[in-house]
Amino acid sequence: MLNIRDKGAEIWEGWNRPTRSTFVIGLIAVVMMLPYAGNFSFTNILNTPISSYQAVLVYPVGMFVLMALGLNIVVGKSGLLDLGYVAFFAIGAYTAAIMGTHFHWNTWECLPLGMALAMLSGVLLGLPTLRLRGDYLAIVTLGFGEIVRIVAVNNPSIGGPNGIANVPNPPKTLGVSFGLDHMESFFWVVVIMILLIIWMVRRFTARRPGRAWEAIRQDEDVAALMGVSTLKYKIWSFSIGAAIGGAAGVIFASKSMYVAPDMFSFNISVLILSCVVFGGMGNIWGVILGGTLLAYIPERIRFISNARQFVFGVALVLIMNIRPDGLLPRKKREKITKAGE
Amino acid sequence: MSERILELKNVTMRFGGVSALDGVDFHVNKGEICALIGPNGAGKTTVFNVVTGVYTPTSGEILFKGESVVGKKRQNITRGGIARTFQNVRLWGEMTALENVMTATDVHKKSGLVGSLFGTPRARREEKQDREKAHELLKFMGIDHRADQLGKNLPYGDQRRLEIARAMGTNPELIMLDEPAAGFNPAEKVALAATIRRIRDNGYTVLLIEHDMSLIMGISDRVSVLDFGVKIADGTTTEVQNDPKVIEAYLGAPADESSN
Ligand SMILES: Nc1ncnc2c1ncn2[C@@H]1O[C@H](COP(=O)(O)OP(=O)(O)OP(=O)(O)O)[C@@H](O)[C@H]1O
Ligand SMILES: [Mg+2]
Repeated sequence: MLNIRDKGAEIWEGWNRPTRSTFVIGLIAVVMMLPYAGNFSFTNILNTPISSYQAVLVYPVGMFVLMALGLNIVVGKSGLLDLGYVAFFAIGAYTAAIMGTHFHWNTWECLPLGMALAMLSGVLLGLPTLRLRGDYLAIVTLGFGEIVRIVAVNNPSIGGPNGIANVPNPPKTLGVSFGLDHMESFFWVVVIMILLIIWMVRRFTARRPGRAWEAIRQDEDVAALMGVSTLKYKIWSFSIGAAIGGAAGVIFASKSMYVAPDMFSFNISVLILSCVVFGGMGNIWGVILGGTLLAYIPERIRFISNARQFVFGVALVLIMNIRPDGLLPRKKREKITKAGE
Repeated sequence: MSERILELKNVTMRFGGVSALDGVDFHVNKGEICALIGPNGAGKTTVFNVVTGVYTPTSGEILFKGESVVGKKRQNITRGGIARTFQNVRLWGEMTALENVMTATDVHKKSGLVGSLFGTPRARREEKQDREKAHELLKFMGIDHRADQLGKNLPYGDQRRLEIARAMGTNPELIMLDEPAAGFNPAEKVALAATIRRIRDNGYTVLLIEHDMSLIMGISDRVSVLDFGVKIADGTTTEVQNDPKVIEAYLGAPADESSN
């Protein structure tokens, strides 16, 4: 069977710098043009029935990829099972909604605050729980995800179950307008954020933090016995993931102009985790692929209505059986050098 | 009297009803190769575990360079200068040999996440130092040709050697080896003995658990003997070899097999 991951790595390795740069720039350009891909007769198969294709590209597709990449740092890189990732998404979204409607902050002002608050809640949640064994973290995060939602439901000052409406769109920035008829701009913002995360994760992976996370994921006791500050690195990974979830939330709120507690159900946490596992835990390209497919396919097959969840579920189970490590599993770099070289 | 780098005073470690260690007094002098021997289940590995903070002793005192390590976090004990290997090899199998060692050499570095992200001069410099140091240690253990292979794919003997390289990566003063020659053939054992001596000659203090008597007797400056959690003898190799208690407890019979 063709091993796409190794084949891809092999081709990439064979290229020199200019070829690589050209390829990357070309790829980014193609991705940036995706919102217009539904416009031509030969590509309109991409169009999603019922919902607008451009809107689907932003949410769920772009957002899921963004969040899956964030969750991948937590689950895939350092092996911490976070079952309440939606909480950070909600914190970001509510930050944008509250600051935007009450204090007239624009999206770009809300973005750092939303990320900071999500990160802070990640640290506060992580400090006591990350000292414990893995299973406790899963339970605590599961609870936290629900608590955030329930607090929102029961808090009339932030709209209770009705949520907050009239969240402002981002202002016109660098000549780019945002709005219902400008979904492509939101998509571009999401793509830029995704690119930043890819850059960040690649840097971390190649250096000290990546090694520490990897050691913790594989054998935490040995990591501690070899001097790695396990708690510190776990909290970093957990809160960086949280900040990315918060960023996604801010963009989501300013795109949909409306937030309500039921948008942030446990389902979202599970779906994002599925993107990570389905695509290939720990491998950013796998996670991006997983996020894209798991977000897009249900929208594409919306015409079969109620059956779609079922069809989708069966397909997922089948594929996970064929490829238990995900579509593009973690890359295992290995180079054999002969003795005596 | 030479300086005691590690000292256990009246250390008891109970697991439920089992006393793995029972009032053990034991020490390691700076700059020596000290062997810890005893029959299976005597409590040797437990000594490593209480010293490195895996377990907190039920009672007693453990001093490293005169300072108590009881209750300290594992990573801080290691950073303080104690490193170890494991009886059952515990490498990070999904990391390359080089990365295994670099993860250990990392622990004394200053650059953090921000430095790594933006590639600050210090982060780059430290990354380079880490890499060079790791290669140096792999060379020292004779496995530099394995640098880019995954830990789990290394032959068993090289996995054991890699564990020693990784332990040295934390830049310890005391290095504790738990049965490093397990599964080695006689020629490999001789080579390992030479390596351990070189480790000592490079200024490290070595505490060694080993079952192979010829290996122990060839290189140890001092030997301590545990039996059922109690220290029954302590001294030079000749003293211990001729101690009737040791001959009876450890060797099982009052024969002269000890000189094998
Ligand atoms: N975590 C634990 N829980 C319960 N009992 C333990 C634990 N660790 C060690 N023991 C017991 O303590 C005793 C000493 O064990 P230890 O592993 O220190 O022996 P050892 O001298 O290293 O033996 P070996 O030569 O077989 O490695 C044994 O009886 C063992 O069963
Ligand atoms: Mg043992």
